[in-house]
Amino acid sequence: MKNRIKEFRARYDLTQEDLAKKVKVRRETIVFLEKGKYNPSLKMAYEVAKALNTTIDDLFVFEY
Amino acid sequence: MLNETKSGQKIVIMLGIGITTLVVVTLAYYILADPSIELFDLISIPIILIIVLTSSYIIYDRVKNIKRGLPAQDERLKLAGYKAGYYGFVAAIWSAVGSNMGSIILIDQELRGGLVTAAVVLVSGIVFMISYFYFSRKGE
Repeated sequence: MKNRIKEFRARYDLTQEDLAKKVKVRRETIVFLEKGKYNPSLKMAYEVAKALNTTIDDLFVFEY
Repeated sequence: MLNETKSGQKIVIMLGIGITTLVVVTLAYYILADPSIELFDLISIPIILIIVLTSSYIIYDRVKNIKRGLPAQDERLKLAGYKAGYYGFVAAIWSAVGSNMGSIILIDQELRGGLVTAAVVLVSGIVFMISYFYFSRKGE
């Protein structure tokens, strides 16, 4: 699953650690999320989207 | 929302430090009380030390994250822990069977109950630690 977390993060000038603090997860989790190496739970996806002022649909690109 | 409460995390860390200290004290007491160390002890002591050192690293890592204002554990690490626990459980079952079988094949003698228990604890502990590190570094 691809995502636009890095792009949104840059838009709001947030570091990975800043975003991790907002979402209340560890920094490594944000790293893995950005690389597409971790599929978050719906709850975490919602929290990340909320922290970046966007929606899950805009942030995550589902590939079928 | 996604992590435990801060006080809960602190309790887990304090418990971890307490258990690790108890293991080290027990190990030291065991070595000092028994002057005749057998071959099995020589093998098991380094393994126990590896487990203690790894546990200490995990505790240190959690404390470091809390100090930076990040949670000690999140859903990804919890999943890693569950997966590692499953592998540790499977290893415990197989080591219980395998240690005795290996002993019969190699030295034609059944292991004492205490040694089988020790093998189960050590093997499952090591497998859990390796799996935990692997899954926590791998991502998914």
